[in-house]
Amino acid sequence: MTTFLKALARSVAAAALLVGAAHADEPVKGGTLITTLPQTPRHLNPAVQSGIVTGAPGAQLFAAPLRYDEDWTPQPYLAESWAWSDDGLSMTLNLVKDARFHDGEPITSEDVAFSVETIKANHPFKTMFGVVDSVETPDEHTAVLKLSQPHPALLLAMSSQLMPIIPKHIYGDGQDPKSHPRNGQDVVGSGPFKFVEFTPDQQVILERNDDFFIEGRPYLDRIVYRIIKDAAARSIGMENGELHMTTFENTVRNIKRMSENDSITVTDEGYAAIGPINWLAFNTGQDGPLADKRVRQAIAYAVDKEFILNAIMLGLSQDAKTGIHPGSPLYYEGVNGYDLDLDKANALLDEAGYPKDANGTRFALTIDHGNPTTKPQAEFTKASLAKVGIDVTVNSFVDFPTWASKISNHDFDMTWDTVFNWGDPVIGVHRTYDSQNIKEGVIWSNTQQYTNPKIDELMNAAGQEIDPEKRAALYREFQEILAEDLPVYWTNTLPYHTVYSNKVRNPPLGIWASSSPYDLVYLKEE
Amino acid sequence: MSDQTTIKARSPFAEAFEMFRRNHAAVAGLIVLLLIVGVAIFGPLIYPGNPFDMVWAPFTPPGQDGYLLGTDYLGRDILSLLIHGAKVSLTVGLAAAFVTVTIGITVGALAGFYRGWVEEVLMRFTEFFQVLPTLLFSMVIVALFGASLTMITIAIGLVSWPAVARITRAEFLRIRELEYVTAARAGGVRNGGLIFRVILPNALPPIIVQAALMVGSAILFEAGLSFLGLTDPNVPSWGQIIGSNREYILDASYTVTVPGVAIFITVLAISLVGDGLNDALNPKLRQR
Repeated sequence: MTTFLKALARSVAAAALLVGAAHADEPVKGGTLITTLPQTPRHLNPAVQSGIVTGAPGAQLFAAPLRYDEDWTPQPYLAESWAWSDDGLSMTLNLVKDARFHDGEPITSEDVAFSVETIKANHPFKTMFGVVDSVETPDEHTAVLKLSQPHPALLLAMSSQLMPIIPKHIYGDGQDPKSHPRNGQDVVGSGPFKFVEFTPDQQVILERNDDFFIEGRPYLDRIVYRIIKDAAARSIGMENGELHMTTFENTVRNIKRMSENDSITVTDEGYAAIGPINWLAFNTGQDGPLADKRVRQAIAYAVDKEFILNAIMLGLSQDAKTGIHPGSPLYYEGVNGYDLDLDKANALLDEAGYPKDANGTRFALTIDHGNPTTKPQAEFTKASLAKVGIDVTVNSFVDFPTWASKISNHDFDMTWDTVFNWGDPVIGVHRTYDSQNIKEGVIWSNTQQYTNPKIDELMNAAGQEIDPEKRAALYREFQEILAEDLPVYWTNTLPYHTVYSNKVRNPPLGIWASSSPYDLVYLKEE
Repeated sequence: MSDQTTIKARSPFAEAFEMFRRNHAAVAGLIVLLLIVGVAIFGPLIYPGNPFDMVWAPFTPPGQDGYLLGTDYLGRDILSLLIHGAKVSLTVGLAAAFVTVTIGITVGALAGFYRGWVEEVLMRFTEFFQVLPTLLFSMVIVALFGASLTMITIAIGLVSWPAVARITRAEFLRIRELEYVTAARAGGVRNGGLIFRVILPNALPPIIVQAALMVGSAILFEAGLSFLGLTDPNVPSWGQIIGSNREYILDASYTVTVPGVAIFITVLAISLVGDGLNDALNPKLRQR
């Protein structure tokens, strides 16, 4: 009997411990999260403005039909459920019933229709909703997107970064949505946090939306985004505890230093959908050596990717062998990765008809770099290509507009660049290789002037393929051909990292990183 | 007493040389400067190779694996960069000083000689350049026309000439009233001759001093621009070494301090020589 009692007492104690443990993981309500933005956003309305600095506060202010976890699985958000029609030509969204905007007005299917129309007309990513012909609203809580062709990219486009649901009664007043006064001040949204203050160059302050449509959330009382442009200042802020979290960190030295601090966690999880890739772009459209794919391949063989990954990026970024981010389920890693091979490079250059002259030089090229952080790569390219007889002159980075106008007017030989996937390849990948998208003056169009009818055909087919397996196969062939043609030489992912104090629980590590709702984030003293 | 008589009997040049020679700091500066010039001229022969070659593991600390000054972030030999950079940095200094002196003398001489409205216009023009924030102005020039070494040199020259112009004008104002100038004018020497053959040679000493100091400050200025990222990545100047490694200043400080020390020593040497020249060429200080 005593043994039984003892056993009982033990199990009660164990149960109490378990309860205690469970209690420890109970989210804490309240508190102010202090985080950062690396630049001042133009405004806070992602419906008419792309980019991560608008997307981060925008995802708190505005809800979207869907949200995503770290496995690319869509989750219900403002849409309770959603369904494709059998022919893939319509998408039905069933909205949460009692959702309200921050000013108390109900969120209805009319607002969804209005949001889609506004984004389609004003957002720079035309391929997102270009094929949406109309949005039908059979009742208040049902919206049906009618498409002119099947468009699987729609699922990823229905995230907070790309499809915020904005109130028709505010933004539908006839003013130009791009310059609407309520984009930056007195913003009325549908998301977990409400607008308090936006002071350019200083801060964005948001507070808890008590009427959020998910019961009991968000946990935080406030979010303060401090606008700090200097990466070193942000890392000092993390180290001395002034900041709880900073996102999109990509200066490897600072990341390395912060990762040595025990009270801080550093992770590269959460950037797969944004999908930033560094690459060396070639102007294939001008007469000269770069028009020959053997020359481009030779350059890739001569530029040691391992050095970039390990010495320049300090092992903090991933190998990117194609234009699709390695974190994407559509990434195909079986393509030629162009590992360092100087003999092959020399042979290809000889074969292409560019022998070395008496000084050991074959021809001269220039290289630009799209932002100051790719300067090491530019200098490294110069030193690397000297070994195979290509004389490279590095053009110093002056400012972004100068560089962008030069590249977009096709006045360059080679440039280092960083381009984002933005979820689905249709949104962020196709634009680089589409022969219809060679547009003078438009940066991040097909500035390489690359044309291949087969690639156009594959993109067209993959963009409409609903079956995930068939779609992956099409993109596999797409990546294989591109890796052979090499209009750009992809080297690595940008080493984006989220850095957070150990007090921060549920940091945003899903595929959309800081452009996902922070309703689950809470602060807890250790 | 006899000493003084001997000095007096010497030519002005010998007199100045004697003054310079007695200034130990200036002589030390000159020796260091000659050493640096020697490195710039003969260094690449003794230590050949392309300084931009990536020869060894990045961030090899000084002294390790036979790399006396270590390697930078791309694995380039810093000693080689430094030796090849000596020539470039000195050339930048000299060329910028040349630009400065050319513009400065032209403006100052015209203003000081002709006076009147010419002086008014030219000196307001000079003042305009003098009040421009030099760093900002040169950054704008480099940003507009590209960060090539030539452009950087011209930019440094363009922001530095007002001092030379003012000195030249002051000297011209003083000398043009002296009797030998009046005599030359009476003798039929035209304006051009008066400016270049009569007045300018006598106005040169303070300009030479200013030009010497200018070489040092131009080297410093180039390094400053490099640190701000405005550098020509294709030429191994000392500023370029600093500019390309500045990101790593906390982790591998020697990549920045080594060229920094080289710049410091060079500029110090030039300043000492300039001071020595000032003492030697200034007649008021001669009998000190």
